[in-house]
Amino acid sequence: MADDNKALAQGLKLRDSYLLDQLIEQYQYRLFRYLLYLTSSRERAEDFFQETWIRVLERGHQYDGKYKFEAWLFRIARNLVIDWQRQKKVQSLDALTDPEEGAPMEFAALNQASPLHLVLTAEEKTGVHASLDRIPTVYREVLVLRFQEDLGLEEIAGVLAAPLSTVKSRLYRGLEALRGAMQGGAA
Amino acid sequence: MNKNLHDRAEKLIAQERVEGISQSERDWLAAHLRECPVCTQVAQQTTAALRALRGLPVPLPPGLAERTQFRVQLRAQEMREREPKRRLLWIMCVMSWALGIATAPYVWRAFEWAGERLGVPRLVWEMGFGLWWTIPALIAAAVVLMENLRLTNENDQSD
Repeated sequence: MADDNKALAQGLKLRDSYLLDQLIEQYQYRLFRYLLYLTSSRERAEDFFQETWIRVLERGHQYDGKYKFEAWLFRIARNLVIDWQRQKKVQSLDALTDPEEGAPMEFAALNQASPLHLVLTAEEKTGVHASLDRIPTVYREVLVLRFQEDLGLEEIAGVLAAPLSTVKSRLYRGLEALRGAMQGGAA
Repeated sequence: MNKNLHDRAEKLIAQERVEGISQSERDWLAAHLRECPVCTQVAQQTTAALRALRGLPVPLPPGLAERTQFRVQLRAQEMREREPKRRLLWIMCVMSWALGIATAPYVWRAFEWAGERLGVPRLVWEMGFGLWWTIPALIAAAVVLMENLRLTNENDQSD
């Protein structure tokens, strides 16, 4: 695995176009899904998806292969979303901080009807989609990274640029919130 | 049953999924779940919630990878085209500085001579000499700035 990552890092440093094409294919679903849960908008997720890969091309030399590529990829994507939020000045710089710390918690614009609601089809507005919709983005994000992307706790901490304790705390709360939301949905 | 036992069981149910638990904790939890329907339900709900989350489908926009690959290729081509220009700029800067250092004593004398001939105060021709020295750096900085500005404009337009 470490050798694979080193080879990947070398290819990115050389801006190997064949490698990039392969990576885009390979990670398209996971990256788009992560961005969708982060932005709650298909159009925005698609824009950020493309921008993320442009960044990967431009900053490929910064990937050293010590960590999983997807953790680095998600971090780039996340930073792009945060930069966009800063530019739009929709929310504070700490939009993804813990709700208990007093900061706003949703990535989606405040004037939108509901975060994930807009991207769901009628059938999807029930069940787990609807349950996720009820969970604050900060929790949704760590749940997606941990249980959909199978990232380790330290890798998630790397993506979020947050301490391990924060990641754990969000995961516990997120898990509780998800269970609660699904129970509520089922009721 | 003691409330503390339920609390511990619920904590372990979550902990097992988030960061893992030891074998002794797993054994204790299994024994507790055999006797406690409430905590068993919590464990089942947690498992069901995570299974649902893992199996959640997200439809991809059609042609997303192809469009992205095309954009990335374009950008890569653009970067390749710019590289020689930038390399040339740095080579010119380095050469200019090297020549500047090598010829500095002569240029100083030339400025001194011209200053005396024209009757210019010493401070003025000394400042002129200083300016002459910074010209390569100023030109390089201006070129880099202009290039960055152009890039920003292009990105804004493409957005």
